[in-house]
Amino acid sequence: MLKPLPVRDWNYAMAAHLLNRAGFGGPPREIEALADRGPESAVNFVVDYESIPDPTPNPAWAKPDPDRLKKIREVNQRGTPEEKKQLQREENQLQRDRLMELRGWWLQRMAVGPRPFQEKMVLFWHGHFATSAEKVRNAYYLWRQNELFRRLATENWQHLLLEAGKDPAMLVWLDQAQSSRQHPNENFAREVMELFALGEGHYTERDVTEAARALTGWTLDRAREKFVYRPQIHDAGPKTFLGRTGNWSGEDVIEQIIAQPQSARFITGKLWNYFAGQPPSQELNTGLAAVFRASGGNFKPLLRTMFRSEEFYQASVLRNQVKSPVQWLVGSVRALECPLPTPLISCGMIRQLGQDLFAPPNVKGWDGGTSWITTNTLLARYNDAESLVQGTLPPMGPGDLGGKTKAAGGGGKKGVRKLQRVRMGGVEVGKILTPEERANQSLLVVSLERRLFQSPLKGDQKRALLDFLASRTHLNDDDILAAIRLLMSTPQYQVT
Amino acid sequence: MKNEITLQTRREFLRTTVLGSSLSWTVPAFLANTLTALHSEAADSATQIVTGSDATILVVLQMAGGNDGLNTVVPYANDFYHRARPHLGLSGDKLIKLNDELALNPALSGFKSLHDAGQLAVVQGVGYPNPSRSHFRSTEIWQTASASDRSEPYGWLGRYFDNACAGSDPTAGIAIGGQLPQAFFAKHPRGICLNNPQNYRFLSKGAGTEESYRKLNDLEMAGLAAEDDNSGGSIGSLAAGMPMQGGAAVDFISRTAMDAQMSSDKIRDIAAKVQTQATYPGSQLGTSLKLVAKLIGGGLPTRVYYVSQGGYDTHTNQVGAQARLLKDLGDATQAFVQDMKAQGNLPRVLVMTFSEFGRRVSENASGGTDHGAAAPLFIVGNRVKAGLLGKHPSLAPQDLHQGDLKYNLDFRNVYAGVLENWLKTKSLPILGKAFEPLPVV
Repeated sequence: MLKPLPVRDWNYAMAAHLLNRAGFGGPPREIEALADRGPESAVNFVVDYESIPDPTPNPAWAKPDPDRLKKIREVNQRGTPEEKKQLQREENQLQRDRLMELRGWWLQRMAVGPRPFQEKMVLFWHGHFATSAEKVRNAYYLWRQNELFRRLATENWQHLLLEAGKDPAMLVWLDQAQSSRQHPNENFAREVMELFALGEGHYTERDVTEAARALTGWTLDRAREKFVYRPQIHDAGPKTFLGRTGNWSGEDVIEQIIAQPQSARFITGKLWNYFAGQPPSQELNTGLAAVFRASGGNFKPLLRTMFRSEEFYQASVLRNQVKSPVQWLVGSVRALECPLPTPLISCGMIRQLGQDLFAPPNVKGWDGGTSWITTNTLLARYNDAESLVQGTLPPMGPGDLGGKTKAAGGGGKKGVRKLQRVRMGGVEVGKILTPEERANQSLLVVSLERRLFQSPLKGDQKRALLDFLASRTHLNDDDILAAIRLLMSTPQYQVT
Repeated sequence: MKNEITLQTRREFLRTTVLGSSLSWTVPAFLANTLTALHSEAADSATQIVTGSDATILVVLQMAGGNDGLNTVVPYANDFYHRARPHLGLSGDKLIKLNDELALNPALSGFKSLHDAGQLAVVQGVGYPNPSRSHFRSTEIWQTASASDRSEPYGWLGRYFDNACAGSDPTAGIAIGGQLPQAFFAKHPRGICLNNPQNYRFLSKGAGTEESYRKLNDLEMAGLAAEDDNSGGSIGSLAAGMPMQGGAAVDFISRTAMDAQMSSDKIRDIAAKVQTQATYPGSQLGTSLKLVAKLIGGGLPTRVYYVSQGGYDTHTNQVGAQARLLKDLGDATQAFVQDMKAQGNLPRVLVMTFSEFGRRVSENASGGTDHGAAAPLFIVGNRVKAGLLGKHPSLAPQDLHQGDLKYNLDFRNVYAGVLENWLKTKSLPILGKAFEPLPVV
C-alpha cells in the first residue's frame, strides 16, 4: 500500500503522467527534464514549488476601493433614480470587465506561470468551494478567494477551512453574511459539513442548526470589504454540536469538524479522485488518510506520498482521466507551445465546453469525469482544436460568450463583435517540429504522438493518419496543422 | 443485468441491424444497454422509446429572468392590484379577458387564438415553499425540482432520462441553446444541445480532413471492437514503457463520438430538408421553436425539447419590455402550434412554460417590479385541460409574504402531472417525493 514506484519503472510516460496530472502537461523537453530527475526528485520538484519565484503581478484593481464604495453609498442615498440607474449600469459593466480580466489572468498563470502544480491545486479548491460570480458579483472578492487558495494551496486543512469560511466571497456565496442571532442562516453551516469537510451522513440536522447558531457573528464588513466578527449578533448560548456541548464559536465549529476522523478521509478521497481520476478504494483511502493525519492535516506529505505511489502509476490510472475543459485548453497550449487565446476567446471556449471559471454550475462544483463529454461538447472540442491550431475564431454565437446572467461576465452580442476583431496565434510548425520530422511522415507521426499523447496510437488510427498525410502531394505546414487538429479530434486526445 | 456483450454479438449487431436500418444512427453509445434490453426484456420500453414515432413530446419553454405574472395574467378587477400598481396596473378594453376577474396581457394576442381553440391552460399561483429571490438559486430549484433548502446535482428532466429512457437514443432530450440546461443534467446524460445545426458538426476546410476524422473516430478503429486490448493500459506493455490507449474513459468518449457523428448528420439532414409551414417571429425564441418543429417533423425520437427566452428581469420600465417579450412568446408559440397541426403532430406535443419566479406585487419607483415569488405558467396543446387551473393567489396585503404572492400550487405538482399524464412515467423516482399530479391533459 502506497509503496513508492520503483525507480526502474520511471520513464518518459510516467514523467508525462505526473506533469499532466499534477499540472497541465508540457512540451516534450519539459517531460524529458522531469524524466531525467528520477521519480523522487521529480515529485519534489513539482510539490516544492515555493523555491521557484512567481513574479505574476496582481490585477491593478485587486485591492479594496473605499472611494468607489463611498460614491456608491452617496448616490444610493441621495441620487436621483436616473443617477442610481446609471451607476448600476457602470458598476455591472465594471464587474463584468474585471471578471473577464480575472479569468484571463488565472488561465495565463496556468498556461505560462512557473508553478503549474500550485495552479492545479487552486483549481481543485475552486471546484471544491465552488463559489460563483453569478451570486457574488464582485471581482475583487473572487480574486481574493483565488489568492487565498493559492496562498494555502498545499498548507493545512484546518487553516484553509477556517480561512475559506471567513472569506468575503464565501460569506456572500453561502449567506453567512446575512446570518445573525435572531435569524441564523444554515447555508454555510450545512455545506461546510456536507460539501466541504465531512459528506452526507456524518452529521445530523441538529448539528446543522447548532453550527449555524455558533457561526453567527461571522459576517462581512461591506464598507471595508473584509470579514468582521460582530459579537452583538453572535449567539453566545450553549450548543450541542457533533456530540459535545459548550458555548461554541465559529472557530470551534471548524475545529470540531476537523477533529472528526471523517474530515481526513473526505478530503484525501477527493484529492485522490482529482489527481488519479477515480475514487480510491476504501483500503487506499485509509492509507492516504493515515498519512494525512500523521502530518497534522498538512497537505504536502500527503501529496508527495500520492505522487510517489505505485497506485498513482498503475495501469487503470494512466491515460484514463477525461480532461476538464481547462485541462484541455491549457494543456493544449502548453503541449503545442502556442499562445493562449485572448481571455474572451479562451473563456468562450471553456464555457462552451462546460467549465466556466468563477461560475461553477452549483454548490457542488463540477462533476468532472465523463460528465464533461456530451455529443455537443465533444464536437466543440474537435472544432475548438481547429481554432487553436490554425489561430482562427472558434464557431460560436452570442450565447457561448454570455453567462447565465450578464453579471457573470458574459460578452453577449457586443462580445461577439469584439471577438471578431481579434486574431489568435495558432501553432508554429517550425517551433515544435524539426526539419527532418517535417519532411518524413513516419517521423512526423511519432513526434506528434510523443507530444500529444505520450503513448502510441492504435494501429488503425495511425494508418488513417498516414493515409491522410499520404494524400498530400507536398507536406506543407497547413497539412501538418490539419494533421495536428485531426489528432486532437480523437477520443484519445480527450483523456490524460 | 448482464453488461458483457461479446465481440461477436457487437460486430454482428453493427453489421446486421445497424447498417441500413432506420435505427442505424441511434445505436452506438447505448449499444450495450439496448442489446441487453432487447435480449432480456424483449423491450417494451426500449422499442417504444427508440422508435418513438407516436410517443408524446414535451417542449419546455423557459422565460428567464423572472416574468411578472401579475401583468401576464392580469387580475384586472382587483382593487389591491391597482392600488399596488398605480402606474403599471393594466386595465381597459385591450385586455384579453378570460373571465370577470382575469385577463391576459394585451401583448399575448398569440395566446388568444390558442385560448379560443381550447389549447391553452393557465396554471395559477405556482411556486414552492421558502422561495428564493435569487435568479441563480431559484432557477436551480426549478431546474432540479429540489426543495429550496436542498441542492440537487441532477435536473428533473435528466432524472426522467435516467429513469425512463435508459438505453434509449442519445437525442432523448434536445436543448436549443449554447449550454445544456441544468434540467438536463443526469447521471447518464441522454440530452444534447445545439444552437445552430450548422455548427453541430465537425467543421473543416481542408479536403479529406472530414473523411479522416470519421476514420479516426470510427467505433471499431477507436478500439471498442478491437481485439488487441480490452483492459486499458499497463506499465511496460510496450518496449518504450508507454501506456496503451483505450481505458474506460476512451471507451465512453468513443461511443459519444459515434453518437455525435450520427446525430449531427441526421440533424443537419433534417434541418436542411424539412420545411416549416408557419411564419415564426425572427427572434431567438422563434428561431428555436422553428428548429424544434423541423426536428419533430423530421421524425427524431426525442421526448423532451428545451427552448428559452431571456429578458424578463424587468426592474425598470417594465411595460414596453414585457409587452415585447410576451408578444414574441405568444406569436412564436402560436406559429409552433400551427406548424405542429400542419405536420399532424399536434396531438403528440405539449408546451410548458416556466419562469424562476414572479415579481413583487407592488411596483417599484423605476417603473418596474422587483424579484417576487408565485406566478402563473402556461401549458399548450390540443389535448390540454384548457382554461384556468388552480387558484389565483390573494393580493390582500395581509395574505402576502414580504410583499410577494404566496403560492397555491407547488411546481412539482405540475411536473408530476406532466410526467404521469403526458410522458406516462412514474413521477416518484424522478421527483424523489410524492407530489399529487396536476391533471394537465
